[in-house]
Amino acid sequence: MNTTQRLTFVTLSWLMLATATTPALAQASSSRIADLEAKMNAMAAELAVLKEELAAAKASGDSANLQAMQADINAAKQIAERATQSANEWKDVTSVTHLSGYASADYVSPENGNAAFIANFNPMFHFLLNDKLLWEAELEIEVEENGETAIGLEYTTVDIFLNDSMTLMAGKFLSPVGNFRQNIHPSWINKLPSAPPGFGHDGAAPISEVGLQLRGVAPVGDNSRFTYAAYIGNGPKLEGEDGEIHAIEAEGFAGDPDDEKVFGGRVAFLPIPQLELAVSGAFGNAAVVENDGVDFEGDPTRDYKVLGFDASYRWNDLDLRGEYIKQEVDPQEMSVAPEGGKWETWYAQGAYKLGQGKWEGVVRFTDFNSPHPDDSQEQWAFGVNYLITPSAMVKIGYEANDGLAGEITDDDRWIAQIAYGY
Amino acid sequence: MKIKSLSAISGITIVAIFISATMSLQQPATAAETTATAQNDPMQFARGAKAWADTCARCHNMRDARSLRDDQWRAAMAHMRIRAGLTAKETEDILAFLQGSN
Ligand code: HEC
Repeated sequence: MNTTQRLTFVTLSWLMLATATTPALAQASSSRIADLEAKMNAMAAELAVLKEELAAAKASGDSANLQAMQADINAAKQIAERATQSANEWKDVTSVTHLSGYASADYVSPENGNAAFIANFNPMFHFLLNDKLLWEAELEIEVEENGETAIGLEYTTVDIFLNDSMTLMAGKFLSPVGNFRQNIHPSWINKLPSAPPGFGHDGAAPISEVGLQLRGVAPVGDNSRFTYAAYIGNGPKLEGEDGEIHAIEAEGFAGDPDDEKVFGGRVAFLPIPQLELAVSGAFGNAAVVENDGVDFEGDPTRDYKVLGFDASYRWNDLDLRGEYIKQEVDPQEMSVAPEGGKWETWYAQGAYKLGQGKWEGVVRFTDFNSPHPDDSQEQWAFGVNYLITPSAMVKIGYEANDGLAGEITDDDRWIAQIAYGY
Repeated sequence: MKIKSLSAISGITIVAIFISATMSLQQPATAAETTATAQNDPMQFARGAKAWADTCARCHNMRDARSLRDDQWRAAMAHMRIRAGLTAKETEDILAFLQGSN
């Protein structure tokens, strides 16, 4: 065989082989593709299912969470809203009720008389409406020597704030004449355990009044001001005894036997906030309504007058104050007690705080003159106070009293007192 | 007689003031308003502190701001406004100071 013959032979046999094997080959690859195709389709189907499931899971999972979260948020919001609402309630209410007042427990030991414990309790009520009306009232409750309890209505007034500077009051109020009665007498304010002679019952200073009162302020410049009070009221009653006026009772009565109203007031000037200078007074009529301990009618009226001056000054730990006041009635010839009378008193007091305001020393001098010598009294009072807080304190006081010999006004005494303004 | 007609005239005048005063009571002025003004008025606290220092030891020892709650101060300050002779504005300033210091 030549080369061409051999080449042709080889080619032919390769061709034959190829032809013989090709279908088998073709058969093998086509089945694998089909296999793969089937697998791929299956996978694709699986993926689609998974995708669907995932999407469904995703969707269902998120919205449940979201809903739960939203619900939580809403609940929390509501709680927060309610909490803020109640936290702010006190701010937005239209009325406020406040219970306050003061109390004291004393031990009084006179040089000649018997030593004894005494106690009193003065609750005070405030009802404030719309920041425009205040009802203030105070009771004075005291244990008496015979063990009974004396209850008095110290004051009860409706106070209407008319404008920026004026207030109108109606009811029973502490007399705005003088300063001690209206501002200093509560036991936690008074630096001594007792009131200065003449500022108590049947003294030289009126105690209270039933009527109408207008109070206000007139600022002058940045640092000075006037304050004023003017009132109209029923006025006092006179007590006759043994043909004399025994006492002017100026304690606020809800009746007016003499049928003449009393007018009065006080004007104070504060050139600087630490200094107050004031003048006060009242005038009107009064009549004897009780004679020798029994009610008495038909006594003719007579003129009644009050005049007072008071001053106070503060300089760091030093507190100085003083007050003069007199109360008088004219003679009345037709009366069961024809003579008039003048009740007059004044005091000056100095107090100094020590030990970062924890201790306080006090000295006061008072001179009280009554038409009845057995009531008149001169007094030096000394005190040392320990301040638990600014309105709770223990006071020890000593009074050197000079009155008519043998009278209690002449008896020196020690007084220990615990006072608390709450 | 003179005092009697005088008292009748002043009686009527005062009653008239009283009636017109009660009419103004209808519009509430709540502490919320006061708080709102406080936010618009940053100097209120300082003014209140000064007025407090100037006024509140005149008659009695200075009471601690922490001795009362905010609402109690509201009533106590209404009371002290009358006693101490303060304007409404001074009262609001001192109240803001006390409420911010307790
Ligand atoms: C003009 C005298 C005076 C001045 C000034 C004064 N107070 Fe008073 N204060 C009193 C008297 C009097 C009482 C007791 C009232 C009573 O028991 O009836 C009192 C009572 C209080 C009480 C007890 C609760 C109450 O409302 O009665 C507080 C708190 C008080 N004062 C705070 C103050 C503050 C704060 C100031 C300054 C703005 C002030 N005071 C200025 C006279 C004064």
